Amino acid sequence: MENQNFYYDNKTVKFFAYATLFWGVIGMVVGLLLALQFIWPQLTFGIPYTTFGRIRPIHTNAVIFAFVGNGMFTGIYYSLQRLCKARMFSDILSKIHFWGWQLIIVAAALTFAFGFTTGKEYAELEWPIDILVAVIWIVFGWNMIGTIIKRRTRHIYVAIWFYLATFVTVAVLHVANSIEIPVTFFKSYIVYAGVQDALVQWWYGHNAVAFFLTTPFLGLMYYYLPKAANRPIYSYRLSIVHFWALIFLYIWAGPHHLIYSALPNWAQSLGVVFSVMLIAPSWGGMVNGLLTLRGAWDKVREDPVLKFMVVAVTAYGMSTFEGPMMSTKTVNAISHFTDWTVGHAHIGALGWNGFMTFAVLYWLIPRIFRTNLYSKKMANTHFWIGTLGIIFYAVPLYWGAITQFLMWKEFTAEGFLKYPNFLETVTQLRPMYAARAIGGGLYIVGVVMGVYNLILTIRQGDFLAEEAASAPALEPVSGKRAAGEGAHRWLERRPVQFTIFALLAILIGGIIEIVPLYLIKTNIPTIASVKPYTPLELQGRDIYVREGCYTCHSQEVRPFRSETERYGQYSKAGEYVYDHPFQWGSKRNGPDLSREGVVNGKQYKPNSWHYNHMLNPQKLNAQSIMPVYKWLIADDLDMSTTAKKIRVMQMLGVPYPAGFDKTANDVLLQQASLISADLKTQGIDCAPNKEIIAVIAYLQRLGVDIHSAGLSAASASENPVK
Amino acid sequence: MEINDKNPVEKDELTGDKLLSGHDYDNIRELDNKLPKWWVWLFIITIVYAVVYLLVFDVFRIAPHQEAEYANEMAAVASLAPAPQAMVFDTLMVPLTDQPALDAGKAIFDKNCVVCHKTQGQGLVGPNLTDNYSIHGCRFIDAVNVIATGVPEKGMISWKTQLTKEQIIQVASYTMTLRGTNPPDPKAPQGDPCK
Repeated sequence: MENQNFYYDNKTVKFFAYATLFWGVIGMVVGLLLALQFIWPQLTFGIPYTTFGRIRPIHTNAVIFAFVGNGMFTGIYYSLQRLCKARMFSDILSKIHFWGWQLIIVAAALTFAFGFTTGKEYAELEWPIDILVAVIWIVFGWNMIGTIIKRRTRHIYVAIWFYLATFVTVAVLHVANSIEIPVTFFKSYIVYAGVQDALVQWWYGHNAVAFFLTTPFLGLMYYYLPKAANRPIYSYRLSIVHFWALIFLYIWAGPHHLIYSALPNWAQSLGVVFSVMLIAPSWGGMVNGLLTLRGAWDKVREDPVLKFMVVAVTAYGMSTFEGPMMSTKTVNAISHFTDWTVGHAHIGALGWNGFMTFAVLYWLIPRIFRTNLYSKKMANTHFWIGTLGIIFYAVPLYWGAITQFLMWKEFTAEGFLKYPNFLETVTQLRPMYAARAIGGGLYIVGVVMGVYNLILTIRQGDFLAEEAASAPALEPVSGKRAAGEGAHRWLERRPVQFTIFALLAILIGGIIEIVPLYLIKTNIPTIASVKPYTPLELQGRDIYVREGCYTCHSQEVRPFRSETERYGQYSKAGEYVYDHPFQWGSKRNGPDLSREGVVNGKQYKPNSWHYNHMLNPQKLNAQSIMPVYKWLIADDLDMSTTAKKIRVMQMLGVPYPAGFDKTANDVLLQQASLISADLKTQGIDCAPNKEIIAVIAYLQRLGVDIHSAGLSAASASENPVK
Repeated sequence: MEINDKNPVEKDELTGDKLLSGHDYDNIRELDNKLPKWWVWLFIITIVYAVVYLLVFDVFRIAPHQEAEYANEMAAVASLAPAPQAMVFDTLMVPLTDQPALDAGKAIFDKNCVVCHKTQGQGLVGPNLTDNYSIHGCRFIDAVNVIATGVPEKGMISWKTQLTKEQIIQVASYTMTLRGTNPPDPKAPQGDPCK
């Protein structure tokens, strides 16, 4: 067939690259602000919009979806066109995708600062933005699959397999984890409750790591690493085996975020074993990447792009070994809720994603600007500062994690906790937090150098928006397998079938784990004494969600003596049946709060303590790293939403009596007046309609229902020493 | 670059490995290498681990699940621990006055009590311990009892599950030394005046 002439669209690539750099710096600086709040807790400037709980989602979402997301799109838009020998399917879709994605990011940053959040990690966006994400994601997929369909190459390359798996899986995860009933334009309740919500959330959360941070970046590795090294891929067979094994196994591993929780044991076991089985498929990618460099290691010494790639792939190998280890019960028993998790996440984010993104940008920007990188020396310096930054970031956190779990679990000879005051275990870590901030700061210095280097590259270059290319059109051939054609080779020229197979592979694990939690009642044994929240407590809980309290406080007591001694009886599945969303958290910067309201418990504090603590935590604990929450005391509770909230909860199956929505605010004020009156006896003047009253009501409810159920049995079995 | 990939065998110059013909994507070639053996074995071992794990924990239930594990942990402690301390105090007991005991009491106070009574005992959420008033009685034994059993409805938790008998006496003795110290920013008196 005759050659066809066409143009690659470099403009969209350029836009995504600029967005990557811009959001990368912002997301990381917000991360640094968070790190500094561990050292100076009042670095929130006393305003709501910069408190830890609100900007933590800004940091995580900005880095994952804005920095890594735009980086992924940069790499995909460049490589996909060349691997398909075709221009992107539609310029209009490319534009909608780019601007739509940036709009989502801006909307996310603003809404999180204002406290509009669903309270589910990495899925905090409220429902209108969730819908926008789904639409823009489909635009991306449509544009990508359209390009693949009109390609001029017979087979699709392994990079594209990973791109396709990314598209279908993220679509499924996002939609399933965002089924919410709106209350207002900025507030919704997730349809899942408690344990079910936890499982769906971590099925999503873990696979956001798998299919947003891993599979697309493996795709990028498969294109840019052989390009930069000018070497053939080590093993096509390994590509096939590790691709299918990875996507099939990954989807099952979510429950490893819930080891030793109230999640049924069988689901925890699946989380453990599938995580362990992921080591080889993950390492398949690392092996294929590193062995591709055979014969080209001399280039690695010279070329900063390859240096970044080698460390990225190595970091990937490290964190995909560490992850399965942390998923075993033995390690998880000590690592969970500590900074170990944070260190682990950052090896992946800073090492694998950050370094791979910069490798791609250092390789691609000089090409589309038809020039050389402005300064190779500066890129090398970026590499070394960045690598040091990762080490300075992670090592103190690992050290701190070990220190903290040892302190949490140490008992005296008399059978008491050696460090009963949780704060002691935090204060001990503050030098580590300072070191971590230095590590993070170093990494940002490197990034800023990278941005500067790339800007100067761009300024000295000459941008080629429309890159001419030519390739023969694809001759139509039979869709059936030809004689001697391997099954997978056949599949590689059938992208739609390929996508459907990938979809099936990722659906199996999710369905087998999630569906039984709905259909089989014994998975979540109910507890008769657990009752729905009162209207005031419900409002207080929504403020708890709004302020992101879950980013520092867990609500999940694990079945260990060291936890039941500190907090009270361990958490049961039946406690959470009215929790939309669940608020178990994944990191304890402060103590667990799930037994906070138990009057005879060790965590109990009077109303006035909570009031004073929100007003000025350091007045009560000089060493506390809790931020102030003055606005809870100043602001009136928005009672206009109470009736609607009750109705939505009823729709979700919470057994409020019929017509309760009409009297809900009367009930609310009645309870609020009691708390207000109690504060008055302590010399505190606080009107019943203030937000703080609702928060106190919620905190004083935590753990009360289950405690009243099995008081004698529980205290007998849990305090054998005394 | 067609379906059957039937071209003469090409080899990679640097390694001598066989290149797959027809596998050329934007000039990226692929080698026909087998899966590394160690990698295959790693995969097999993890799969065997998974099968055995599920059989042990969830099919035959030979190893304990978390609830049983917890019960075992608590039972082990119960059998090892010394006999429960009798938290009975002599009503006529007098505060300790030796310095080591008072220092130990201060350490306990600083760790556990300042969060409500403040660093110098001047009170905030909890009552002022430095004035000459008391809600629950002025005798030493009253202080000891409040610390040991708590006043849960007022937010004073019971400390007998976190402190030993000796520690309770030490911290109570320390609080007695705070009386009349007049620290800054005191909480207004609560309860009845002591004689």
